[in-house]
Amino acid sequence: MIDDIRVGALIASSSIKRGNKKTLLFIVFVLSLIFMNLVFLPSMIGGMTVLFTGIMQDYPYGDIVIEPTGDNTYINNADNVLQKVRAVEGVRAATKRLDVGASIEHKQNVVGVTVTGVVPTEEYEISQYPYIIKEGDFLGELSRDEIIIGSIISGTSTTFGEIYDDLGETRVGSLVDVTYSNGVKRTYKVKGIMEGNFELVDLNAMVHYKEIEDVYGLDKGKATSVVVRIDEPGTEDEMKAKIREAGVNEQVFTWADKSETLIRQALQSLGAIDVMSKFVGLIVGAALILIIIYINILNRKKEIGILKAVGVTPRSIVLSYTFLSMFYVSLGIFAGLILYLSLMFYFQANPVTFYGTMQIRPQIDVMLIIQSIVTMLTLSVIAGTLPAWSVSKESILKAIWGR
Amino acid sequence: MIKVKNLKRYYGSGSTTVKALNGVSFEIKKGEFVAIMGASGSGKTTILRILALLDDATDGEYTIRGLKVSSLPEAERSYYRLTQVGYVFQDYALINEMTAAENVYILSMMEGKSKKESYKVALEALDKVGLKDKHDRIPDELSGGEKQRVAIARAIAKKPDIMFADEPCANLDTRNSEQVLDVFKDLNDNYGQTIVMVTHEPWHVKYVDRVITFKDGVMVGDEWMDDR
Repeated sequence: MIDDIRVGALIASSSIKRGNKKTLLFIVFVLSLIFMNLVFLPSMIGGMTVLFTGIMQDYPYGDIVIEPTGDNTYINNADNVLQKVRAVEGVRAATKRLDVGASIEHKQNVVGVTVTGVVPTEEYEISQYPYIIKEGDFLGELSRDEIIIGSIISGTSTTFGEIYDDLGETRVGSLVDVTYSNGVKRTYKVKGIMEGNFELVDLNAMVHYKEIEDVYGLDKGKATSVVVRIDEPGTEDEMKAKIREAGVNEQVFTWADKSETLIRQALQSLGAIDVMSKFVGLIVGAALILIIIYINILNRKKEIGILKAVGVTPRSIVLSYTFLSMFYVSLGIFAGLILYLSLMFYFQANPVTFYGTMQIRPQIDVMLIIQSIVTMLTLSVIAGTLPAWSVSKESILKAIWGR
Repeated sequence: MIKVKNLKRYYGSGSTTVKALNGVSFEIKKGEFVAIMGASGSGKTTILRILALLDDATDGEYTIRGLKVSSLPEAERSYYRLTQVGYVFQDYALINEMTAAENVYILSMMEGKSKKESYKVALEALDKVGLKDKHDRIPDELSGGEKQRVAIARAIAKKPDIMFADEPCANLDTRNSEQVLDVFKDLNDNYGQTIVMVTHEPWHVKYVDRVITFKDGVMVGDEWMDDR
């Protein structure tokens, strides 16, 4: 067997060293495209998934959200819950929020919205709201008569402008009247306009947490939700259990639990597309590798016959093509990786724009890359071995002289 | 050394059967240099391929040193081709991507020798055919005669019992043909190498001990060359 391996390696290495370089380049190019096909689309789908999940995590739900039990409107001891949650190992930050219904009016334009009362300084650690202010500034600790409104409400959204009712070009500094669900009416100055290019965000408005407490006459420490961010993404379920163990008796959800059906379905669809694309990519890849290697072997059929005629064992011959195939595929993977990483860097710098202004940046999934490399190398062994084995079984006369 | 008894090789079946060999019997002793001659289609190449275990006979018996090689399983035939038989093809049949030395020493490596040892064997064989200084050339860098001499070196490097050559000078001019035949003659004279060569050139007979003539698949002549 060792002699077979040595001779197989000699045949393969001389073929690589002195074979047609243009053919080698072409084979490697095609193989690099096969590798790209295996990893690129899943990376784009990964990017879309991250975008959708990111929106849910970065805005309404954080990684974990705690809500009142049963029919209760509020968490009654939100500060106590916050204290327990913050003590749990793995929790990065937590804050409380108060969501209420209201209508906003500006120059006879009225829009119904959800107004969220937030603790402004804590939101920097929790959400992206403070970072998506396209005009003006985010709320501060003293912002009691100020409001942040979404770009759709303000009428400045370029993405959704035609779809929803708005206040008609409201700007920073404009005064708007907010009528809360309990009938209390307050006038606020627009401090900032936020734009996340997502309805869930851009149809919202925000005031200081204390303002909602005041309007609704709530006791200190009430909240409609406590939003939690964790250190390690992907451990939401584990952290949810830890929070419950820490004595939080309210309802605890992960962002995925709370995601709207649409988003969940979208993620499921993306997952299905991802699986299908990987499957199809694998089948196409396997077929192409097999065809490339088979054509290569057919072109060397006479050589196989000669080697057999002079006494080289079929096993050595088959091994030589296995080595050759593995070499081609390894080079193809290497070239494909360079191509893939180049495209990844390009799309990181120039994201694909989706839904107007949502930007998709493909995700580099190391596990996927490793899986694809292992898959292609496995295929290379099969693709090199099977056709060579089949040709090596032919009679010497047929292999050399075709009869 | 070689005994062929009533050997037959038929192609096709029924009315379209071609009788390439139709009951051939002869013996070749160790150290003989035999030419098999005949017109095109006479069966001379067919008998050579059967003797070299590249093809199977339809019927008949064929032994080398008493071993009935015609009925060996493929794995043993492969080993026999590697260790006992040297074959020189009409069109050289060298591996184009290997140097002259690699074309020769691949078989020594197949026999289990180290690369260094195999290389040494290859250089010795190439030296015998006068090509030691061109050991690192690939076939495309050699003339037709030189390629054929590399093929001979490959055949003799493993010191086979018998060397078969299928019209080794068919693609060569007279000068190169003479060089190749001189190598055969030298191997036969000085190393006692048994050689069976198929040829259709009458002037080649001056190099051989014996001429077996074929016609329409049967042996029609067996003549010893006394003047050699």
